[in-house]
Amino acid sequence: MCGLCGLLGEDVHWSDPLGDGLPRRRERLRRISAINRVLAPLRLKVEDFQGTAYLLLGATGRQELASGLDQLWSLAESMTGRAADPLDPVLLQSLEPAS
Amino acid sequence: MSIALNVVTGFLGSGKTTLLNRLLQDESLGDTALLINEFGDIGIDHLLVQEVAPDTVLLPSGCVCCSIRGELKDALLDLLARRDRGEIPPFRRVILETTGLADPAPILATLNNDVQLRGRFHVGLVVTLVDACHAELQARIHPEWLAQVAAADRLLLSKTDQAAAPAVSALRQRLQTLNPGVPLLDTHEVLSGDQLLLGEGLRGATPEVEVARWQLHRPQGQVTSHGEAQVCCLTFDQPLDWIGFGVWLSMLLRCHGERILRVKGLLNVNSLQAPVVIHGVQHCLHAPVHLPHWPCAERQSRLVFIVRGLDPERLRHSFDVFARCFAPAVEVSA
Repeated sequence: MCGLCGLLGEDVHWSDPLGDGLPRRRERLRRISAINRVLAPLRLKVEDFQGTAYLLLGATGRQELASGLDQLWSLAESMTGRAADPLDPVLLQSLEPAS
Repeated sequence: MSIALNVVTGFLGSGKTTLLNRLLQDESLGDTALLINEFGDIGIDHLLVQEVAPDTVLLPSGCVCCSIRGELKDALLDLLARRDRGEIPPFRRVILETTGLADPAPILATLNNDVQLRGRFHVGLVVTLVDACHAELQARIHPEWLAQVAAADRLLLSKTDQAAAPAVSALRQRLQTLNPGVPLLDTHEVLSGDQLLLGEGLRGATPEVEVARWQLHRPQGQVTSHGEAQVCCLTFDQPLDWIGFGVWLSMLLRCHGERILRVKGLLNVNSLQAPVVIHGVQHCLHAPVHLPHWPCAERQSRLVFIVRGLDPERLRHSFDVFARCFAPAVEVSA
């Protein structure tokens, strides 16, 4: 926990950066960029919050704070009523042109 | 130092307590604490026995499968506290005998997700006993049977002397199809102190030996089916981007974890020379393990999924799209 602001760190997750090739902050921004690409079809955006959490922004202005990836996917579903599903053809189609 | 917790599971009457009682007579298990969730008739009074009753608290993800088993946590922390107070002898391993109807996934999730347990305990091996006499009926009626078999790092067949030889042979074939590469032994072949049961699998001294057992090198797209379960293998020739892969698999497990009974993989991650090994059960993925070197010259990422009610072709397509989309694009822009 940060002694100044009282924020808890991000949940430990198996997908956390493996090596120390890039600074942790940089890896985090890469992850947020990847998350934004997959959440775009749900009209959701994610921003970094203090380097410790994810601020999830809905199309209607609703905002939620997620402490880790697992909670992020859960909140995305509760905000949109649809699960962020990697098997969803719409999502896969939105990713294809970029490949 | 983190203590290994080996899970012994298996359906009701499959002989878990009988096996443990036989093995625990030996001194080689003197440094092992035993947790059982039901007090059996067999006395194991020279060892540590504690009852673990079911009690669940949901994680923020709201996933029932990934619930924390509160009393398991309490029991484990209590073991440590009693050891520190000198009330019980030191131990370096815990064996947890589950109830016959237990799905192993919440137990693994408890150890992986609880902040007090993480770092103090880790999952060693999941050992599943299969009753040779009643496996066919149990598989047909109880979905937990398949979950227990798929989650296994070791499979033990019990009561083979009471079942017809052709039926036992067919059952062996079925188990090897459902969970390829997992060591399959008869319970009477298991000796006390056997490292096949007491080892720590991927967290042990030789994770590459464990990975070699997984038989990951099967043809891309090959799907083997047995009943409602399917085993499919995914491969990717180019190095994977770990961030993109993590987003894909975490989404997949969140959304379809109940249908992904097991996942194992050897990954070629960009920027890393040595392979990364992942494995998990349902929604719960263990911390990745780095192997010291590639097991063969071919540096191809390979994933094996055991799924139930999930189209392997859709899984493969999704993996391909994510892998292509993220690996080159993110790497170039970075």
